[in-house]
Amino acid sequence: MSKIYGTDENKVKALDNVSFSINKGEFVLIVGSSGSGKSTLLNMIGLLDRPTNGKVFIDETDTTNLTDDKISSFRNKKLGFIFQFSNLLTDLTVLENVLLPREIAGTSDSAEKNAIELLKAVGLDDQINKRANKISGGQAQRVAIARGLINNPSIVLADEPTGNLDSVTSEKIIQLMKLMAKKLNQTFIVVTHDRQHFGDVDRIITIKDGKAFEGNLPSEMGVLA
Amino acid sequence: MEYRLRLAKRMLFNKKGSLIGAVLAVTIGILVIHVNFVIFQGLFDAIVRDISNYRNGDVLITDEEDYIDKSDQALVNWFERIPYVEAATPRLSSTASINMTKFGTLHEETRIPIVGVDPLRDIRASTVHETVSEGQYVFSRNSIVLGSNVARDLGGAQVGDSLKVKIIDRYGQDQIKRLVVTGIAKSPGGQGFDYSVVVHIDTLRDLMNRDGDTGSIMVKLNDPSKASDVKNFFLAAFPNDDFIAETIEESAEEQLAGFRSGIAMINMIGYFGMMSSAFAIVTIQMMLVNGKTREIGVMRSIGATRKDILIIFIFQGMIIGAIGAGVGTAAGLGYTFYAKETKMSFNNSLPLEVSYNWEKIIQTAVLSFILAIIASLYPSYRATKLLPVEAMRTV
Ligand SMILES: Nc1ncnc2c1ncn2[C@@H]1O[C@H](COP(=O)(O)OP(=O)(O)OP(=O)(O)O)[C@@H](O)[C@H]1O
Ligand SMILES: [Mg+2]
Repeated sequence: MSKIYGTDENKVKALDNVSFSINKGEFVLIVGSSGSGKSTLLNMIGLLDRPTNGKVFIDETDTTNLTDDKISSFRNKKLGFIFQFSNLLTDLTVLENVLLPREIAGTSDSAEKNAIELLKAVGLDDQINKRANKISGGQAQRVAIARGLINNPSIVLADEPTGNLDSVTSEKIIQLMKLMAKKLNQTFIVVTHDRQHFGDVDRIITIKDGKAFEGNLPSEMGVLA
Repeated sequence: MEYRLRLAKRMLFNKKGSLIGAVLAVTIGILVIHVNFVIFQGLFDAIVRDISNYRNGDVLITDEEDYIDKSDQALVNWFERIPYVEAATPRLSSTASINMTKFGTLHEETRIPIVGVDPLRDIRASTVHETVSEGQYVFSRNSIVLGSNVARDLGGAQVGDSLKVKIIDRYGQDQIKRLVVTGIAKSPGGQGFDYSVVVHIDTLRDLMNRDGDTGSIMVKLNDPSKASDVKNFFLAAFPNDDFIAETIEESAEEQLAGFRSGIAMINMIGYFGMMSSAFAIVTIQMMLVNGKTREIGVMRSIGATRKDILIIFIFQGMIIGAIGAGVGTAAGLGYTFYAKETKMSFNNSLPLEVSYNWEKIIQTAVLSFILAIIASLYPSYRATKLLPVEAMRTV
């Protein structure tokens, strides 16, 4: 797929004929320099924006012609998001934030139990009734991870989830994501500048000038087309 | 609780300033309408009350021929047999010239309205005798009560003074009689006999040469809501006479028509006030939406549909409307209660006739609630236009 921002003179080709597939349960890193098109790619996979050309398939469903409501439902049930900044709704408590995707889905049976289990797994079961603007940045990212997993999505997408954290906290969040991915056999696609901290991952995709390459070192990069 | 309602409530209550601002806008809109109602409808009703109490009763009987020639005694007795009727009294009116010498100076006033009353019956059917501030009401054939303005124009006439009344009788002849001032009448608001003089009805009949004639019969009911019934009953009972029977609304219509359109205009102004509070809500909610751009993006990214976002902000409009309508109505009722208890008066004179018009009170509350929801539609719609990618924006 491709993504072109703007029209005519100030056209930006943010993604240029990118094509790849990711298998269930893979932990994938997307790396590349600033402005290379990583976030754009993640937006397309996350159905937050539509590609100019090409298609995104999730669980074998072509998402190109889905209505806005269908896409919302897709995001709700098949995708989990972790962003760099202020992921949480500050008017709600930690628990309410984690529960929100369930409430939007309208399937709240045993939701609270699941949410508390997830919060326990990310080590925040003692903070559940705190308001979301009263916790630290690292804690907020943990809540976002728990929220991203509550509806048992097919893919969890994260755009620089540690970009806003100090290195000790980053390390913990990264380990947590890897742990959860393994425990739940969960697909993760993570955009990061922080390649080293992730250690071993299943796969690395490098974006350069809107083009995607397999691997993370120029020498070992194979063109993905 | 429904998560959209909870979110709507939390967002609003966590922004106290916006919440208070929006609620206050609704409250003030409602309060203005209540205050307008208390003052202007109160004034209107006070004038109706005074016209009814002092002059026209609840039902006023006149004759197409200017004068009723049937026995006033017989008509009054007929009325007083009806259980709804408190009392009835005959009256006769004309205009007079009055002159009086005070401290050696002759004062003459012409074209003064003169009213003839039956002293014993009048005090039962009308409260105008209560406006006599000095002396007492007409009690004999040679007593006269002066309106305070007439007394002033006559060089400061006082109780005990004697004066001459001149009337042109039915044959065009001047008839003059000397009378003694027994009282001065002054009513709050001047709706009473402040600009008239009052004499015994038989005195006026003599002067006018209209023995046995009556100008009108003023009928006071113990249940004013039965005015139409009494009127129709009367007209049916005397089909062959040329009587005119009017309820207070009909007999006072001429005096009140202008006032009525004034009230309609004041109400319009009130509703414009409500409209501007709706604009205040639009502004405040737009600010709320703009402050939540990113969070709306987050909600959309985790699956909230456009409709969900729309509902959240319409719920906010409903919350603002409900609280505003509640507080505004409470404040309005508080003001109304205060006005009623303190017998608030207009220009320190005419005591307002304060009432609770529940239909209008509820209508105002419901209207401002609906208006708040309508006002929230645009900001809510704008919120649905925010894209989920907003959540990703790095700054
Ligand atoms: N909404 C937009 N309108 C126009 N151009 C855009 C828009 N979003 C991104 N771009 C451009 O597309 C290109 C890729 O942007 P993108 O945000 O995907 O980069 P990135 O790899 O995520 O960078 P960073 O590491 O700084 O987050 C950049 O040149 C950027 O300026
Ligand atoms: Mg980016």
